Amino acid sequence: MRRSFPILVCFGFGTIMLAQFFIPSKLSTGAYNEITNWVQIIYAFALIVGVVGLIRYHLSRVSRRQGGWFFNLVTVSSLFMMAFLGFVWGRGDHSPFMWVFNNMMAPMQATVFSLLAFFVASAAYRGFVARNIEAFLLLFSAVMIMFGIASIGNSIPPFSDIANWILMNPSMTARRGIFIGVGLGTIAVSLRVILGVERTYLGKE
Amino acid sequence: MSIWEKAKTIDRRIIFLFMFLGVALPLLIRIGLPVSVTNDVKKVYDYIEGLEPGSIVLVSYDHDTGTLPEMLPMSDAILRHLFRNNIKVIGMALRAEGTGIGRQNIRRSGAEFGKIEGEDFVFLGFRPEITAAILGLGTSFERVFPKDDEGIPIRELPMMKDINNYGDIEMVISITDDDTPVYWVNYANARFKVKVVAGLTAVMATTFFPFIDSGQMVGMVAGLKGAAEYEKLIEKRGRAGRGMDAQSIAHLVMIGFIIIGNIAFIMRKRGK
Amino acid sequence: MDSGLICVSLFTSEGVGIWIASILTLAIYSFLYRDNPIYRFSESLLIGISVGFLLVTTFDTTLLPKAFEPVGKGIIGISESGGINSFAIFVWILIPVVLGFLMFTRFVPRYAWMSRVALALYIGFGAGASIPANMQSYILRQIDATIRPFLNIDSFWSLVNALIVLVGLISTLFYFFFSKEQKGAFGKITRLGTFYLMIFFGATFGYTVMARISLLIGRLTFLMKDWLGLIS
Repeated sequence: MRRSFPILVCFGFGTIMLAQFFIPSKLSTGAYNEITNWVQIIYAFALIVGVVGLIRYHLSRVSRRQGGWFFNLVTVSSLFMMAFLGFVWGRGDHSPFMWVFNNMMAPMQATVFSLLAFFVASAAYRGFVARNIEAFLLLFSAVMIMFGIASIGNSIPPFSDIANWILMNPSMTARRGIFIGVGLGTIAVSLRVILGVERTYLGKE
Repeated sequence: MSIWEKAKTIDRRIIFLFMFLGVALPLLIRIGLPVSVTNDVKKVYDYIEGLEPGSIVLVSYDHDTGTLPEMLPMSDAILRHLFRNNIKVIGMALRAEGTGIGRQNIRRSGAEFGKIEGEDFVFLGFRPEITAAILGLGTSFERVFPKDDEGIPIRELPMMKDINNYGDIEMVISITDDDTPVYWVNYANARFKVKVVAGLTAVMATTFFPFIDSGQMVGMVAGLKGAAEYEKLIEKRGRAGRGMDAQSIAHLVMIGFIIIGNIAFIMRKRGK
Repeated sequence: MDSGLICVSLFTSEGVGIWIASILTLAIYSFLYRDNPIYRFSESLLIGISVGFLLVTTFDTTLLPKAFEPVGKGIIGISESGGINSFAIFVWILIPVVLGFLMFTRFVPRYAWMSRVALALYIGFGAGASIPANMQSYILRQIDATIRPFLNIDSFWSLVNALIVLVGLISTLFYFFFSKEQKGAFGKITRLGTFYLMIFFGATFGYTVMARISLLIGRLTFLMKDWLGLIS
C-alpha cells in the first residue's frame, strides 16, 4: 500500500498526460486542465514544505548552539521579518516588503553573482592552458567568442564572422547532439517511471 | 624560482584588481565603441515591428534578482519597442522574484508611454511549476491565473476579456536567466504553435542556437550586448549601451590573462 | 530617476535605500579579500530575505487564489445550497489541497510515506507530459533541421556547413554511446565528437565570461553612479 498506491497514482496520471496528447477529446482536455491545475497547487505546497524544512534546519542549529549559529539566527530572523512585512503590509509597489526587495535583496543577489567575474578571471589564468588538441579547441573557441561578440571585436569582420560561424555550426551541432541525447534519455526514464520500473523517487521504505 | 614559476603562484587578488580596473576605468572614461547588431536580435526586432498595433504579446519574467543588471536593460528595451508600437502586453512570472521585478518594470515602462494598466497592459503574477503553468495557458489563461497580481479577477480586466489561450496572442517573450525558454519551446511552441522569443543571460545563449536554427524560436536577445543591440535598433541608447566599453575592455583583460597563463605554461614546460 | 544598471534605485529614489544597497554590496565584495564575518552576515541575511520573499509570494499569488479561496467558496456553497452537487464540487476542489498538505507529512517519519502520493502524481504528470514534448522538440525537429539544409544547397560553402553540422551531430551522439568501448574506427568518430563538444564548451565559457562581466558592470555602475556620483 505504502509503495504500490503511489506507483499506481504515478502510472495513472502519467498515462492520462501521455494519452491526452494523442487522443484529443473533451474528456481528455478536461482531465488535462484539472491535472495542470492540481500540479501547480501541489508544487506551491512543496515550495512551502521547502521553506519549513529550511526554518527547521536553521532553528535546530541555533537551539544546539552549533558553530556559526549566529548566522543561522540571522537567516531565520530575516526570513520571519520578510514574511511579517509581506503578510502585514502586503506586496504593493511602495510597501516595506518591496522596499527590502529593491534595496537589500536585489543588490545583494546581483553582487553575489557578479563575484564570479573575478573568480572566472583567476580560474582562466591558472587553468585555461592548451595542453592538448581538445584544450586548444576549447581555448580557441572561448577567445574567439569573447573577442568576436564584444563591441571591440564585433566591429572587425573576420572576428565577428568567425565567432558567428562557430556559434551557428560546430557549437550549435554539439548542443543539438546533447539535446537529442537528453531527449532520448528523458523518454526512456519517463517510460520507466510511468511503468513503475524506476522507483527511486519513492525513497527508502 | 623563475618569473614563470612565480607567475603560477600570483596572488589572485592581483588578478581581481586588474579585472576591477578593466571594468571601472571604461565606465569613468567613455571610449564610445560601436555596437553592431547581430542577426538573432534583428529577427526579434523585425518580428515585433511586423505586428499590428493592438496585438497581444506575453512577456514572462522567468528570472531572479541575481542577473538583474543583464536582464533589466533587455526587458526595458523590448517593452519600449512593444509599447511604442502600441502592442498590448501581458506580464507574468515563472519565478517568484520575477513577480517583484516584472510588475515594477512593466508599470514603469507602461507609464513612460502613457499606457493604462488593465487596458494596455496587465501583470498576472507568479505561477510555480513551469510545465503545468505553460501547458495550462494553452487551454485557459483564466484557469491558470484566476486573478491578477493585485487580486483582481482577470475577467474584470478590460484587456483580458477576449483572451482565452495562446491562440489569442502573437508571441511569448521569456526573459530568463536559465533554461525556461526550453520549456516554452517544448510545451508552448511544439504543442500550441505559439511563437517564442528568449531574452537571455549570456550564460545560456549557446543552448538556444539549435532552436533558432530549427525555426522553433524566432530569435533571441542574449546578455547585456544583446540588450545594447536592441537599444540601437529602437534608437534609444540606455543602460546596456553605456556598459559596452567596459564589456569590451574587460574581455580584453580576460584574454590577456589567458595569453599570459599560456605563455607561462609553455615557458615552464621548456624550463623542465 | 534613471540610475545604474541595477534595479535597486530604478524603482526607488530614496537616499537611504541607495546607502543600504551600497553598504550591503561592499559587504558582499569583502569576500574578494577573504572570507569574513561581514560577508557571512550579508550572505545569511540574503538567504533569509530571499526565502521570506518566496514564502509570501507563493502564498499570496498561488495558494490563496488557487487553493484556499476556492475551498472557502466551496464551504460557503455547501452551507448555502447543501446539495450533493455542491458537495461533489467541494471534494473535487479539496483533492489537490489535501495532497498538498500531505507533503508536510515528510516532517513526521511515521507518516512520511503519505507525501509519496502527491509526489507520485507530480512525477507521473511530468513523465507523461515530457514524452511527446521531448520527442517533437528535442528529437524530430532537431533531426529535421540537420537534414533540411541539404535540400537547399545554393553554394559550395552552404554544402560544407551542412556537412560540418551533420558530421558534428553524428560524432557527438556517438560520443554519448557508452555501451561500446571507444576504440578503433568508433573511437576516432567519438574523438571527433569530443572536438565538437570542446568548441561548444569554449563558446559557452566565452558567453559565461560576458554574462559575469555584465553583472559586475551593473554593480560598479550602481556604486560609482548612484552612490558616489562619479559618472555623469
